[in-house]
Amino acid sequence: MIALALWRFLKRTPLSTAMALLGVALGVTSIVSVHLISANVAERLDQLIPGELNGYTHFLHRDGLIAADYFELRQRWLQAAADEQWRDVEQLAPLIDETTTIQGQVVRVIGIDLFSTGQLSQLARAGDAQSGWDWRGVWADELAAELTQRPVNSVLEGDSGLLVADIGVAQEILGWDAQRLSYIGVVVRDSAAGLKRSAEQLVPGMSAGLPQRQLEIAAAEQYAVLSLAQQHPASQFGKSVLFNISALGLLAMLVAWFLIYQVAVSWLRRLWPVFSRLHVLGIEWRSLQLYFVGAMGLLGCVAALVGLAAGYFLAQLLFDLNVPHETATFAFSWWVAAKGVGSALAVCLIGGVWAFRRAQGLPQGEGRFGLLIGAALFAGVGVVWTSSGLLGGFAAIAICSFMAAFMVSPLLVYLRARASVWRGAYLLRWSAREAVWYPQDLAVAIAGLTLAIATAIGMGLMVDSFREDFSRMLERRISYDLVVTGDHQELNQLVRQTLVLQAVKRVQTYAERDVRLRGVRVKVVASHYDALESARYGFPRPLEAGEVLVSEQGAKLLKVNVGEPLTIDQTEFAVVGLFASFGDVQPRLLVPRSVGAPETEGSITSVSLKTAEPLKIANSLQQTFPDLKIERYAEIRQTALETFDQTFVITRVLILIALIVAGIGIYVALTTLRLNRSSSTRLMVALGLRRTEETGMDFMLGATVGLVAIVLAIPLGTLFGWILCSVINPRAFGWTIELQLAWQSYSEPLLWGGIAAVSAGLVRVGRTETGGLRAVV
Amino acid sequence: MPAIIQVTNLCKSYLDGDNRVEVLDRLSFDLDAGCSLAVTGPSGSGKSTLLNVLAGIVACDSGSVVLNLNGQCHEVHSATQKQRTAMRRKNIGYVYQFFNLVPTLTVLENVRLPARLNGRRDLDDVAVDVLGEFGLGERLHVFPEVLSGGEQQRVAVARALLLKPPLILADEPTGNLDAGNSLKVAELLFERSQRAGLSVVVATHSEAIAARADYHLQLLAPGRISLA
Repeated sequence: MIALALWRFLKRTPLSTAMALLGVALGVTSIVSVHLISANVAERLDQLIPGELNGYTHFLHRDGLIAADYFELRQRWLQAAADEQWRDVEQLAPLIDETTTIQGQVVRVIGIDLFSTGQLSQLARAGDAQSGWDWRGVWADELAAELTQRPVNSVLEGDSGLLVADIGVAQEILGWDAQRLSYIGVVVRDSAAGLKRSAEQLVPGMSAGLPQRQLEIAAAEQYAVLSLAQQHPASQFGKSVLFNISALGLLAMLVAWFLIYQVAVSWLRRLWPVFSRLHVLGIEWRSLQLYFVGAMGLLGCVAALVGLAAGYFLAQLLFDLNVPHETATFAFSWWVAAKGVGSALAVCLIGGVWAFRRAQGLPQGEGRFGLLIGAALFAGVGVVWTSSGLLGGFAAIAICSFMAAFMVSPLLVYLRARASVWRGAYLLRWSAREAVWYPQDLAVAIAGLTLAIATAIGMGLMVDSFREDFSRMLERRISYDLVVTGDHQELNQLVRQTLVLQAVKRVQTYAERDVRLRGVRVKVVASHYDALESARYGFPRPLEAGEVLVSEQGAKLLKVNVGEPLTIDQTEFAVVGLFASFGDVQPRLLVPRSVGAPETEGSITSVSLKTAEPLKIANSLQQTFPDLKIERYAEIRQTALETFDQTFVITRVLILIALIVAGIGIYVALTTLRLNRSSSTRLMVALGLRRTEETGMDFMLGATVGLVAIVLAIPLGTLFGWILCSVINPRAFGWTIELQLAWQSYSEPLLWGGIAAVSAGLVRVGRTETGGLRAVV
Repeated sequence: MPAIIQVTNLCKSYLDGDNRVEVLDRLSFDLDAGCSLAVTGPSGSGKSTLLNVLAGIVACDSGSVVLNLNGQCHEVHSATQKQRTAMRRKNIGYVYQFFNLVPTLTVLENVRLPARLNGRRDLDDVAVDVLGEFGLGERLHVFPEVLSGGEQQRVAVARALLLKPPLILADEPTGNLDAGNSLKVAELLFERSQRAGLSVVVATHSEAIAARADYHLQLLAPGRISLA
C-alpha cells in the first residue's frame, strides 16, 4: 500500500520527478561519456609503448652499461631471492632502446633478449596485440620456435619507424660493441596492481595520479632508476590528461547528488505529514525510510539507463569534436554499465537516506568545525606534499569543494541574521531575503551551483593562463616564417640555395638527436644560439660554449636546475636556463652547435627561414625539393592554437553539463521555497500584486541565489585555478603555468551560473505542483 | 449615496473531482459605505469564496458584483484580472486567518507594504504611528516569527488600515487566536475602521464578532442565506 502511495505520489509530481531523473541522467551521461572516450584514448596511449617494454615497471641505467652489469645484478638477484630487498623483483632483463638513422629515416631500435621466458611471452603478446606487424626472418632456434611460434634471431620489422630485434642484431644495427646495453629492465611485483587496475576503470587515468612504487634494492643505488612513466612520458602525459577529464566528469555526478538530495528534501516536505500519520498508525520509521529510499533507487535505475544511452551519444559527439578526422567505436563494457548504474544508485540512495534523516531531525553533521579544520589540513598536505602526485592535488580540490559546500548553510544563516538592514524596493527586498531565509532548503542547491561555477572558473583560469603562456611561447618561437624538415642531404642543398637568396633574411639549421642522459631519453638540439635564437626560448643572451638550456620537463626528469652541471656525451655543460615546452612529450636540451652535437652537414634535421615573402619562397622551394616538408610558421601557430582549443572542448561540455544539473538543482530548491511561500503569495495577491512584479520577485530570488553562489564560487574557483596551475600541472606534465587572473576567465562562468540561477527562478512550469501564485488562492 | 457593495444573483461553483459543487447560488445583497458586515456559516458554506469574489481574486460564474470605491464604480464581475488587481491594490485591505505577514519583511516593512506597492512613501511615518497605537512600537524592526499570534494579527490589521481603503475584507481574522486576543483584534478592526468611515466585511465563526458588526449574513448551505 505504501509503495502504491509513493508511486502515485511520483505520478502526481511529474515535474520534480522528471527534473530529478534528468539531473541524475545527466550526471551518468557525463561519467559514461568520459569513460568511453577515456577507454578509447587509453588504448591508443598503450600503443605508444612498444609491447616489448610494457611489462617492465622500472629501468636501470648508468653510463657505459654493459652486459656484465646485467649478469652481475642477475646473479645477486638469484642468490638473494629470499632477501627482503629482492623478494618482489620478478624479472630482470637486458634491453636496448635507442634511436638511429637508417637510410635517412629515423628508426627506434629495440633490442631484447629473446631467450628470456618473460621476453618471449611479452613478444608473443605484442605480436598478437599489434596488427600490422610483418614477421620476417628464419627459425633460428627450435626451442624459441616452440615457445613463441614466432621467428626469432632476426629483425622483426614493425611499422611507424619501430624496429624490434634480438639484442645482438640491435647492437649490430646501432654499430655498438657486443656488450653495450641501454638499460636493465626490472619487473617488480605490485601487490596493489589489481586495485590500481580497478581504480583505472573507475576513474580513467587514475594510475597517473597514484604515487609510483619505488625500487628499493641497494644494488640499484649504482644506477639511475626510471619508472615506466618516466621512460615513456608520452603515455604518462596522456593518462594525466585523462585523469583531469575523469575528475571533471565526476563533477556532474557530485552536483547531481546535490540535486537529488534537494529533490528528496522537497518530496519529503510534502510527504512528511502522511509519513507522520502512518508512523502514528504503527509503521516503523525504518520501513517508511525503506520505501522512500526504494522509490529513489527506482528513480536512479531509470536515470542510469537514460544516462547510459545518452553517454554513448555524447562520447561520439565529443570524439568527433576533438578528433574530427577519425571515427571511434565505443564498446560498452560491464564496467561502464556498473559505473553508470552504481553511481546513479549511490547518488539516489545516499541522497534519499540523508534527506530522510534530516526530515527526522537526526544529527547529520556534528563536529562540523573540527571536521573542517581536519579537512583543511588534509588539503594542505595534498598541495604541499609533492609525492602525493595528481591524487594529492585533486584530493585538495575535492576537500575544498566540500568545505565550501559545508560553509553555504552558515553563510545563509549569517546573511539572514543581517537581513533586516537590507534596503531597496520592498518586493525585491523580500525576494532577496527569501534566498537566505531557508538555509536547510536552499543550502545544498546553492552548494551545487557554487561548485559548478567554481570549477568553471578554476578550469577557465587554468585554460586561459595556459593558452596565454602557450600563445606567448608560440610568439617567441615563431621568429621565422618557414620551417623545413626531411632528408638531411636535401636539407643541406636547400640551405646552400637559400643562403644566396636575397629574399631570405636568415637561415637557421638544427641538428636533433636522441641521447640517454641519466637513463632518460632526451632530445638534444644543436644549433647556433645567437641572441635572436636564444630569445625564442626566453633566454636573454647568446648561448656560449659549455652552456645548455633545458626544457622544464627535462629539468624535472633529470633533476637538474639552473647553475648545476650536466654531462652530455662525456662533455660537461652548465645549465644556464630552463624554457617552457608545452606539449613536448620528450625532454629537450639546447646546446650550441660547436659542442655536444654532430657538426657535420649530414646531421641537419630541420631548417628555419626568415623571409619577407614566405608564400613565394615556400612555393619555389617546394618545386625544387618536392620531398621536403615545408610549413609556414603562421599556419603552425594557428593549427597549434586550434588544437589547443579543441583539446578543451570536452572540459567545456562537462562543465556545461554540471552547470545545467546545478541549475536544475536550484529550480527544485526554489520549487520547495515556493511551497514555503504559498501563504505569503496568497497574501500578496490579495494586496494586489501585479504579474510583472511577481516576475520581478522571481528574478530577484534567482539572482540572489546566484549571487550567493557566485560570492562563494569566486574565491573557491580562484583557489581551484591556482591548484590546477601550480600544483596539478607541474605534477602531471612537468610544466608550470603562470596563473593570470583575467576577468574573462571569470565572466563566462559567472554569466552562465547567473543565468542558471535566474532561469531557475523565472521558470514557473511547475505551477501545478507548487501551487502557482494565482492557483494558491 | 450608492452602496459600496452591490451583489446581484452571484453564482460560484467549484469542480471537486467530477462533481460540480455550487458554493454560491444566486446570492444578492447590498452594503452601505461605512457599514460592517459579518458573514457566518459552516465550513464549506462559501464565506471565503464570497470574500475572494468581492476582492476579485477569483471570478464569479454569473451574476454581478459592483463595488463603489473612492468614487469609482468597479464592475468586478466583468473586469479583467489586471483591473481587479489594480482595484484591490488601491481600495481594499485584506486580513487572513493565518500567515498574514510576509516572514522576510520586518513588522514595519509589512505594514508599509501596501503603501509602497502604491508608490507612496508619505505614509512611512504613519505606519510607525499606527504600530505605536497598536502597542507594537517596540517591535518595529523585528521579523514576524518572533511575534505572538495576537501580535501578528494586530500587525495585519494595522497594514489593512494604513491606506485607509474604503473596503476591508477579513477572512476569519481571529480564528487562530484565543478568546482574549480574538476580541482585542476584532475590536481594533471594527473600531478603527468605523472611526475612519471604512466598510468592513468579516467572515467569521464567532458569534461575538458577528454581533459586533452592523449586519449579519449567514450562509446556511450552498446557495441559501439568512440576512439579519
